[in-house]
Amino acid sequence: MLPIQNLHRNKTMAIFNLAMRLLLGFSVVSILWSCQPEREAQPVWKSIESSLQERFIQASDGDTILIPAGHFLFTRGLSIDGKNNLVLIGAGEDSTFLSFKNQKEGAQGLLITNGKNIIVSGFTIEDAKGDNLKVSDVDGLTLRNIRSRWTAEVPSAANGAYALYPVLCKRVLIEYCEAIGSSDAGIYVGQSDSVIIRNNKAWNNVAGIESENSKWVEIYGNEAWMNSGGLLVFDLPGLTQYGHHTKIFKNIIRDNNHENFAMPGNVVASIPPGTGVMILATHDLEMFDNDLINNRTVGTGIISYELVAALNETEEVQSDAEGGIRTVENNYKLDSLYNPYPYRIALRNNRYSNEFWFPSLSNDIGFLFLLKSFLSPPDIAYDGIKPPDRNPEICLSNNQGAENFLLLDAAHDFEGFAKNPTGFDCSVVSSLKP
Amino acid sequence: MRLLFLLTLLMIAGCSVKTPEPEAIEEIVLAGGKASKWPEKLSSFGFFQKPLQALRPEKGVVAYQINAPLFSDYAFKKRFVKVPTNEPATFNERETMDFKEGTILIKNFYYPADFRKPEGKRRIIETRLLVREASQWEALTYLWTEDQEEAYFTSSGATVKATWIDDSGLKQSVDYLVPNQNQCKSCHQQKGKLVPIGPTARQLNMTEEGGQQLLRLVNQGVLDSVPNPETIPALANYHNLTESTERRARAWLEGNCAHCHRPEGPGKTSGLHLMAEVHKPLALGIGKAPVAAGKGSGGLQYDVLPGRPESSILLYRILSTDPGVMMPELGRTIVDREGAALIEQWIREMR
Repeated sequence: MLPIQNLHRNKTMAIFNLAMRLLLGFSVVSILWSCQPEREAQPVWKSIESSLQERFIQASDGDTILIPAGHFLFTRGLSIDGKNNLVLIGAGEDSTFLSFKNQKEGAQGLLITNGKNIIVSGFTIEDAKGDNLKVSDVDGLTLRNIRSRWTAEVPSAANGAYALYPVLCKRVLIEYCEAIGSSDAGIYVGQSDSVIIRNNKAWNNVAGIESENSKWVEIYGNEAWMNSGGLLVFDLPGLTQYGHHTKIFKNIIRDNNHENFAMPGNVVASIPPGTGVMILATHDLEMFDNDLINNRTVGTGIISYELVAALNETEEVQSDAEGGIRTVENNYKLDSLYNPYPYRIALRNNRYSNEFWFPSLSNDIGFLFLLKSFLSPPDIAYDGIKPPDRNPEICLSNNQGAENFLLLDAAHDFEGFAKNPTGFDCSVVSSLKP
Repeated sequence: MRLLFLLTLLMIAGCSVKTPEPEAIEEIVLAGGKASKWPEKLSSFGFFQKPLQALRPEKGVVAYQINAPLFSDYAFKKRFVKVPTNEPATFNERETMDFKEGTILIKNFYYPADFRKPEGKRRIIETRLLVREASQWEALTYLWTEDQEEAYFTSSGATVKATWIDDSGLKQSVDYLVPNQNQCKSCHQQKGKLVPIGPTARQLNMTEEGGQQLLRLVNQGVLDSVPNPETIPALANYHNLTESTERRARAWLEGNCAHCHRPEGPGKTSGLHLMAEVHKPLALGIGKAPVAAGKGSGGLQYDVLPGRPESSILLYRILSTDPGVMMPELGRTIVDREGAALIEQWIREMR
């Protein structure tokens, strides 16, 4: 009914207003503080490359390694391997800066592997060619007071993928960290076990915080804003382990409306800008007492990997049509241990609000929401693609301001599409009762 | 509003942090370094007769070759092994040979001045050692001096300019990266432990001048015994055009990728497994969406798309030299043109 031009105009106006407000705020701040702090404005870059790497190699178990205050440039990735009970500590994230802007070798800024009980804290790490800080195969990891960022004024796919990236780790604590500008996820925990992500901040990333194929994860007290998606919990096929048991509480997930600048092909590239929380193909997840504010496309989405594969498949079919070559199916079904459907998901006592009238249209999912829920993007949406062998046990209760719950019924061409359907009451369906 | 905008731009410009070129940077040495327990000079090991740079092995130091070596910026490699007297390695059909404590694997990296005369004048860059201790392997690197008189221990690596005339008579050069001690392990790693990669039965099983290499290694006391080489698997020499594309490509992938991309290696996070014995399509990347590739995906949907090398992330990353994209992550700064062409052909012919 509303002509499409109006639609675009409204969308443009909303973005313009937001941009102007931000600009105004920034200008005032700029004028007030000008170029302070002085040190950051005119740093003298030095190198501690050889001796720091040597120190990492020579460290004995139980050592504490101090990185002094200063701005340090690196041409090669740093690595720590096979150390136990090691503490690596800088002079604080406003004093010690490790920059990989001139990196010629290595896919990570700092890579920590195969250790036990490692504490890393107190520095800013920036502009690695790949991931800024990757930790693999470590049992007992603390990342604290680390600012990890890409400094390009306009974030793009040229930025590295992950700011803080523990993978295949156990007993992980990430707290009081900041993640900025990642072209995939800011704080990303993959294939890990027993994880706490708390009191962190993530902005200007494609995904603010992401837990992927991880089990026994608690995510609380974090703030994620200005990402394309604020918080993601994903389970993907073909990996070393599958995720389950995630608690998400007391987080502020707001204004995650950034353009999605992920390199296509990665699963986060299919996340629509304007996503608060996206729950993909995982199970036993509880989300409560969170604030979801002004995420323009969807407050919380619950989807299966089938939907993601189908959306990507469409692109492949299209590009194949040009090449005249047969379609290749996403092979995830070959992973017989993988369950692509979300189940046992409980959303309770969260607070939703959204001043936007339109979802982001730069993405298939956003467009779908527009078609299905005109003028009121969903607070909560579930694709309705159910596991064949069980009740999905998706439940909602007492989510303040969650006026639009959409059931898409994506598996049946959206025939069973429904707004605020019944049958999702936590007291009835979920085995995850409070 | 416009004024504010301009003002803001000016502020941003005024405050932006300029990163200088690395040459301009002062190097600071952190206090508190520790001495290494290893000999400072390569010559102290007594592997080679004088002059050192001739790399003529002393008695007990035995040369060997492998079928499908890792590409290292076109560097040539001369490999030797020294086992303790009367303690040969136990033959292992699947993994690297079971070497006894005191064994040292020796690998020399060098560039012939002219690749058309590989035995002519050359520049040796580094010699890497893998030393078998009681419960673990240690990786050491010795960096050769410009005058080629000696090589000195380094734990933090180096960058060395290498130049050569290639097979077609063109002058080439590269900033060759000597790895630091940790980087050795980023390839030489299984289940978190440092291990050798090359001396497996599949890699060693080859015909050489005068017979079978495996039988010679038994005769020289390096291996305890071997089954009939014809009954055990062998990787193809991927340069050998009489072999099938499939066998050459799978040998190249095992030699260049599978040290990480196997269930026991650090690349296991990706779900991509490239040992030559693997045949599951998903493990080989066929129709597999990338996991944590970041910009490494190159905007492509699948690791391998049969018939479509240009749409396959595998080839995209082999062809890249961006440290955040390229594969392998370490050990090269330029593209293995011949290797990439082989993988291109392999994917193109795949049905």
